[in-house]
Amino acid sequence: MSEPTPVRVMVVDDHPMWREGVARDLTEAGHLVVATSGEGRQAVRIAAAVRPDVVVLDLQLPDVSGVEVIRRLVTALPEVRVLMLSASGEQQSVLDAVKAGATGYLLKSASPAEFLDAVGRTAQGEPVFTPGLAGLVLGEYRRLASQPGPAGGREAAPRLTERETEVLRLVAKGMSYKQIAQRLGLSHRTVQNHVQNTLGKLQLHNRVELTRYAIEQGLGD
Amino acid sequence: MVIAMPSEPGSLQVPLWRALAVFRFASLAYVGILVLRNAAGYAHPIAALPVLLLMLGWTVLAAYAYARPAWRGWPLLLADLLAALGVLLVTPFVVGHAAMTGGGPTLGVAWVGGPVVAWAISGGRRRGTVAALLLAGADLVVRGGFNQSWLNGATLMLLAALAVGHVARLAVTAEERLQRAVELEAATRERERLARGIHDSVLQVLALVQRRGAHLDGEAGELARLAGEQEAALRSLITTRPADDGGNCALDLRTVLARYTAPTVSIAAPATPVWLPDRLAREVGAAVGAALDNVARHAGGQAWVLVEEEPDAVTVSVRDEGPGIPPGRLAEAADQGRLGVAQSIQARLAELGGSARIHSTPGEGTEVELIVPRPPG
Repeated sequence: MSEPTPVRVMVVDDHPMWREGVARDLTEAGHLVVATSGEGRQAVRIAAAVRPDVVVLDLQLPDVSGVEVIRRLVTALPEVRVLMLSASGEQQSVLDAVKAGATGYLLKSASPAEFLDAVGRTAQGEPVFTPGLAGLVLGEYRRLASQPGPAGGREAAPRLTERETEVLRLVAKGMSYKQIAQRLGLSHRTVQNHVQNTLGKLQLHNRVELTRYAIEQGLGD
Repeated sequence: MVIAMPSEPGSLQVPLWRALAVFRFASLAYVGILVLRNAAGYAHPIAALPVLLLMLGWTVLAAYAYARPAWRGWPLLLADLLAALGVLLVTPFVVGHAAMTGGGPTLGVAWVGGPVVAWAISGGRRRGTVAALLLAGADLVVRGGFNQSWLNGATLMLLAALAVGHVARLAVTAEERLQRAVELEAATRERERLARGIHDSVLQVLALVQRRGAHLDGEAGELARLAGEQEAALRSLITTRPADDGGNCALDLRTVLARYTAPTVSIAAPATPVWLPDRLAREVGAAVGAALDNVARHAGGQAWVLVEEEPDAVTVSVRDEGPGIPPGRLAEAADQGRLGVAQSIQARLAELGGSARIHSTPGEGTEVELIVPRPPG
């Protein structure tokens, strides 16, 4: 499943048994666990020092929200990839985490094999979507499209192309990239790009919104 | 957690106190007009001027003092009552005894009702009645005996005391209820917050047991499998908690479908509620349930449910990767008069004004797509 190329991983989870279990799985699979942490703020500081390729992050942390940690991680280390894990799969926070810059999402109930596969794919820059996440992202695009634009600045809501919608729907229906490529007569790489674009547009829109908000509130530099 | 409080206690009575201030000024204006009209017939017309000035002074002072919650105590209430009594008692001297016994108005007229209302707001009907009786007694003394004007004035003051006292009590009760509701809401939120944390750690442990035990045989493996099932059940319970539909008799389709969550069933939906009229949501839920049953019976393995919201319709698809339905099989069942699951789902949807499409490729699985039009609004 996962490729032999070792990935430098940092594990952030407040549950010690999880942290150890995940770290052990990663080490056994030949990856390098460069750091572990049980707190959000500490994790951001450590990540800045050890510069991992992938941060495996639990969304539920004791000090700061997982979404906030992702925002800080992505700001401090634009190259880092975040694979979030969530025990509850609480929908709004999963969506917020993706908008903040996470590129992968797994439920904690995923099997170790699925997890290792996800880490490998995240390291290669491939978005790791569960069907549930694809459903959330589809819903978010529809919500943005149906919302009246902000009063002053006419910031167009991001839209999916027909192809992107088609691909995302198939992901939400549980099809693998390979199956989707077959069904639509596309290459695996193209399917992956479409999925990546759906995330990219959402994240960009989110950044623009945050900046606009900051300027409106007089916090902009 | 910060929750909007109905500001400090007694805030619901603030409008009553303001109304009282307005009443005092309005009744004082009336006093002024009467004095101007009748002064010619007074025993000592000049003496009316200082009395009027004192009344004006007290009216301004009272308006200022009653606006401060901390000052609305006995000293102010007694001073207020004494001011009104004073005005009543000097009346015969200014107006003349003859005019009073003849049923003429006192100098205070309705202005002396101010303290009655103040007592009623601060202490309810009973306290207001006490003030009204004290003033009526003084009025009786001033008039030197019973007459029609006295009866009028006394009755009006008593009625004012009862009415205002009642409203003031209502305001207090309403405020207490509001306060209790706010406290209850705060407690509920706090409990929900704690529950989220607890649920999360329970989920963690269940997922951990499932993960660690998945490759074990025998009882341990069985425990892991059970933990996995409970994990899915608990997760579906807490991720889609019922949202408020604002009393539209609508159901969030996500909540309706959440009960089908299982290790073998993935449900993808928007993060926001998908409202459908109550009956429609239940019917769609039943159709999805039938489709999932069918998957469990014939296809086995995993099923994926996707809920999509369009402006005018809701689409729910159920996909499996089972053996699929051989071509012609559906038509064959219909010809034989058997109503297969597919047809029953299609009939159900048609009745709702929607449609059901079934795609199946042998060897690749089946996909059922339910489309329900959404009523406008």
